[in-house]
Amino acid sequence: MNITAAIADMQQEAAAPRLLRALTALAALGFCATLVLALFVVGEDIQQGAVQRLFYIHMPSFFGAFVAFGATVLGGILVLAGRDAVWDRVALAGVEVGLAFSLINLVTGMVWARPIWNTWWTWDPRLTSAAVMCLIYAAYLMLRTGIEDPERKRRFMAVYGIFAFASVLLTLFIIRIVPDTIHPVIVGASPQNAQGGFEATSGVVLGLLPALLLWTTLMPITAIWHRVRLEQRLEALESLKARVIGD
Amino acid sequence: MPIRLAALLALLWLALAGGLSLAQADNVTVPYVQTGELNVPRLLGWRDESQGNIAQFSLENATIRTALVASDDPLAAAQMELQALRGRAAAAPLYSGRVNLADGSWQSMIFDLDDRTTASQMVRQVREKMVVISFIESVPDARIMLLTLPQADDSRADAQPEMALALEQLLGIASAGLSAGATLDLPGGEWLPIAGDGIQALGMVFGNDSYIALQQGAGDDLAGLVDAYNRTLLGFFITPDHSLYLALGLAATFVILCLLVFSLHWRRREIRKDLALLKQLQQEDEQ
Repeated sequence: MNITAAIADMQQEAAAPRLLRALTALAALGFCATLVLALFVVGEDIQQGAVQRLFYIHMPSFFGAFVAFGATVLGGILVLAGRDAVWDRVALAGVEVGLAFSLINLVTGMVWARPIWNTWWTWDPRLTSAAVMCLIYAAYLMLRTGIEDPERKRRFMAVYGIFAFASVLLTLFIIRIVPDTIHPVIVGASPQNAQGGFEATSGVVLGLLPALLLWTTLMPITAIWHRVRLEQRLEALESLKARVIGD
Repeated sequence: MPIRLAALLALLWLALAGGLSLAQADNVTVPYVQTGELNVPRLLGWRDESQGNIAQFSLENATIRTALVASDDPLAAAQMELQALRGRAAAAPLYSGRVNLADGSWQSMIFDLDDRTTASQMVRQVREKMVVISFIESVPDARIMLLTLPQADDSRADAQPEMALALEQLLGIASAGLSAGATLDLPGGEWLPIAGDGIQALGMVFGNDSYIALQQGAGDDLAGLVDAYNRTLLGFFITPDHSLYLALGLAATFVILCLLVFSLHWRRREIRKDLALLKQLQQEDEQ
């Protein structure tokens, strides 16, 4: 295909697949529905007041980030296994989406901590590991722009993405390993909660379950898919630019 | 594709239905009467007469009531509560003193309402209102007064000096003639009793303050009454208004999600612009 035809072809931007459009609409509707549940249906915590409702965003957003960073690990493994370049795009998209969700997790946690712990931030093991996790993934994005050779970039970032996931696991499990933390444990046994068990009441579950499902399925999948499509176009554009300059 | 979509919808519906059924199965009894902002411990064995924004528990000759009153003056708030409870305001208080507890500065007040009725009240400012905890007793042949006094020396473990002070100030009786009994271990704490001719007093140290109960005349359950009152006083709490922080957290979430969506949109727009430029360059090149 000559360059003019290739440009014209790219300009005829293909509409998003019907499934992606449906997922986008569902994710938006689901987000509104879970907000309604969290803000108007679930009862108010009598000790913490309205700010406790941030829990229905704070915790699901972390698990949404977990899923997105998990996609980066999957993408990285498949890149290293020599599969299609699309898996490199999935890995990159996972980092961008996961980083956004992690920031939501961090910021809502900080806002929640201010009235309850009387501080915006404390160097607690869980908070510190979450901040380090965000920095590690921000570094992924910066490093990626610094490597010119596409094949080298793909392989290097695949390895980085796989190892970076250790920070996600550390953030997840640190409150069960290190007893010196003020961050509460909701599910299962921990040094702070020797008896274990699900501590959330059924009223909390009503708000939490749909939000968890939304943030761990619809939202990351939809956002990653959009980002993968964008990356595909960006790569195609770069290739076109190279051809134009080459001519 | 429709199957996958239907499966997703089914999964969402299952999660929602599961949460709803769990909520319906929730039979946990909240041990508090919740009246909007106020959360007051339920007093077992007492008649629950709570309604609207008032938590009220009664026995035959005693009532404990907790309410938020629109006033900026402790005495006026206390009088308003007495008016609401008794239908008429009281004269000047028999005792009025300020005490700093862990949750703020309280005004402890005692009123003699009539020959057989005494009211003990604790009043504290909460935002633009006053929370008033009232204990009204009409035990025949007895006067019961409950008050809180700051400890002169916070290293002490018993409330004897404050009990002596209260006896002298309120009843004009010297404590020298009264004898101390064995400590009473009540659900709300350990109380030291002292008793004498027609006088009974109980005192408990909590923090840097002494909680005192005085009874003049015959009455058979001072310990039960004082424990119920103190459980209300020490157990009640006000749900804080943190709605601004909730709004801030929601705003931050929206901003981050909007930035994610906007960055995708902006980069897509940049691609279109780059393509237009490439096309223009290509056309110029061909000419």
